[in-house]
Amino acid sequence: MSGASLVLSLVKALVVVLFLLNMSAISVWLDRRQSAMLQHRVGPNRAVVYLPAAAVRALLLLPAVLVAGALAVPMWRVVPGFELPRITQGIEAAILFAWFGLMLLAAHVRRNGADNAFEETVGSADPRSYFYGGLVAHLLAAGAIQLLPTSLTTTGDVSWSTGIAGSLAAAVVLGSGFYAGTKVPDGNVGIRLAGTLHALADAIKLIWKEDLRPRRADKLLYALAPLLAIFPALVTFAVIPMGSALCFQDVDRDRMLSFGDLTHLANVLDRSGACPPGHVSLSLAVADLNVGLLYIFAIAGTGIIGAAIAGWASDNKWALLGGLRATSQMVSYEVAMGLSITGMLMIVGAVHMQEIVEWQGRNAWGIFVQPVAFFLFLTALVAETKRVPFDQPEGESEIIAGYFLEYSGMKFGLFFLGEYAEFVFSSALLVTLFFGGYHLPFVDPDGIRIAFGSSTLYELKLTHLAVSLLHIGAFFGKTILMTWLQVFIRWTLPRFRYDQLMRLGWMKLLPIALVNVLVTGLVILAVEAGGPGVASILGTAGQVTQALVALLGVVGTVALVTWMLEPSKPQQFAVSTTARYTLEAGGVKPTKMGA
Amino acid sequence: MTQAAWTKPAPRTPIATKVIARPQRTPHVQSYVPEWLKGTALTMKHFFTNTKERMLGQKRDPVLENFDGGITTIEYPEERRPYPDRYRGLHRLTTRDDGSPRCVACLCCSTACPAQCIHIEPAEYPDGDERRGYERYPSVFVIDELRCVFCGFCVEACPCDAIRMDTGMHPAAYDSRDQFIYDQPILLSMVGRDGGRKTENPRHEPGDPTHPGVTREHESH
Repeated sequence: MSGASLVLSLVKALVVVLFLLNMSAISVWLDRRQSAMLQHRVGPNRAVVYLPAAAVRALLLLPAVLVAGALAVPMWRVVPGFELPRITQGIEAAILFAWFGLMLLAAHVRRNGADNAFEETVGSADPRSYFYGGLVAHLLAAGAIQLLPTSLTTTGDVSWSTGIAGSLAAAVVLGSGFYAGTKVPDGNVGIRLAGTLHALADAIKLIWKEDLRPRRADKLLYALAPLLAIFPALVTFAVIPMGSALCFQDVDRDRMLSFGDLTHLANVLDRSGACPPGHVSLSLAVADLNVGLLYIFAIAGTGIIGAAIAGWASDNKWALLGGLRATSQMVSYEVAMGLSITGMLMIVGAVHMQEIVEWQGRNAWGIFVQPVAFFLFLTALVAETKRVPFDQPEGESEIIAGYFLEYSGMKFGLFFLGEYAEFVFSSALLVTLFFGGYHLPFVDPDGIRIAFGSSTLYELKLTHLAVSLLHIGAFFGKTILMTWLQVFIRWTLPRFRYDQLMRLGWMKLLPIALVNVLVTGLVILAVEAGGPGVASILGTAGQVTQALVALLGVVGTVALVTWMLEPSKPQQFAVSTTARYTLEAGGVKPTKMGA
Repeated sequence: MTQAAWTKPAPRTPIATKVIARPQRTPHVQSYVPEWLKGTALTMKHFFTNTKERMLGQKRDPVLENFDGGITTIEYPEERRPYPDRYRGLHRLTTRDDGSPRCVACLCCSTACPAQCIHIEPAEYPDGDERRGYERYPSVFVIDELRCVFCGFCVEACPCDAIRMDTGMHPAAYDSRDQFIYDQPILLSMVGRDGGRKTENPRHEPGDPTHPGVTREHESH
């Protein structure tokens, strides 16, 4: 292993740990916030940090400068013969930032009132029109650029038009950042970040809280248990690929990744996605193990130890009961979990996570291939992470808080963090196994291609960097979306009884998983016997599922945004003196009110 | 054997009951997945409806517009709900045209006060003042707002409309208890809901020809 690979491994591990810890802290907040939204409450949003106005302006401008730099600099770099997609990327980015910025400004005007004529114009329009206008502009730009002659976009070695497109996008971003900066009032400004600072406040509180220990607790094990609980949650993520492998040009021809190679990212890949000769690849999993899934099962199994030891070491009968419950539950559901995924492994023929994702990219997402296994696996995963409706190990109403009942301060915080890190990891695992990992429909390693069978409907070449960024964004986006969806399970389902839980695991999930394995094996044999005709039908069916995902994604997003932006005109009633005074003050949130 | 007298006689007609159907154990219910999806859809509906209201500043006004669900929270320091007209808030002492308190130190309010939070020291007007002998004035008028139970008896008891609780303000939290002791200047500085320090009820000064009661020659005092 070269020094560069070692450093990059550490960087990847740091990214994973930071992502898990931050996401678990934010998920704790999200969990509360979401429950509040379900119950017509506001939820935690009061944590606030006061910063001087200059610092706030700098914070607003910094991301804009970074994005602008990232957009403009690569655009000006000359890449012979590859200008067209770069123009498209630049102009599409400019359009995206323009309509999104206008929409945010419209939202700001609606909330706080207009300051000048420009804001009044922006705020007076229907917020949906920005969204529709943006969509139309995206499509028009994509169409118009295809019509441009190549001679216009390239003048010798200098591709001025790509640079201008990139600079346009950068200018829009910078302009938005500057305008947002001017909106910051003078003096100290309270920053709330939509309430997410509550996660930070909770952590600070937990760290400074008194660390109590029961008098007769086992000192060593009591201190060790929280670490044992959080460790597996963090290390299981190591084998999950966060994006497709990056290809670097092997400048010094030592067939290893060295620091000199890192600046020479391959420009384009061919359709297979394999690194061209003379290149070295960098996997975006922390540890690219070929036993991927087995490693996950092995390490996830050790998560039981933390809960069991915590229950034993606390010297409390409720904690011991909780530890016992956790142990038996996790052991039971590990069986169903392993068997439910077996069908998927039989089809793919590998346990290497990257290969599982690539198979899904070539054929169809796991949820279409193994729908029954998905529900079995989801159930087992929820039970495995001890979340509602399988949270009997905690069972507030029966055994108070279960195995971490005696813990306080940051030791309790570590249990909580570990639980939510496991939760975020379970979302990443679900995404990798059943939702195509980092794969997006119709995004090939060399660009976007909408094709059915042998006929190609639309094609747009993209650089290796753009595709890689799409993949990384897709993986983290899907994981966050999955985390958010999984929180709904908690707020929808009531807790099972313990015997129901055991019966479900051993007498329902296990037999169904076995039947699933049997049926999958029969289907695999039938397809093999069917020959190339059946295989081509299955290939087309796979493309149809990809199209279905893309269509559902686009239609769902458009419908959701349209509905969310629809202005509501609630009817006003003023029948009480309170309401009369409220009307006179312009609502319960007057523009300016004394202390 | 007849029924014992002390037992409750059996009802003649059976009590009408509403029978709630037990959920049927159909495969649809037992498979759990469709019902789970249904429940998730319901929670999502609530989530998105309320999230939408908070986007683009469309949160419903909790006082004026909140009639079919939605978030009813008033986020206090930023959002405030004005109190109704008859809300008994902090006390104020009303004034006459010349700015002096209307209070004549009759001690009716401090007598009526069940919490004994009003302390008044009456004083006579100095010699030569036209009000001397006609009425007294409070040299000290102190209300302990921490002892006050906001019953409003003092306002009812006052014959001069001199003490009122129509400021529409609640006692704010201060950092020490003595800040809740409101003395005469503070009470006089408070304004009513209309922003004024007076009341609409007319006040009769000595020598007022419209005075309905006994007229006295104030020169003789």
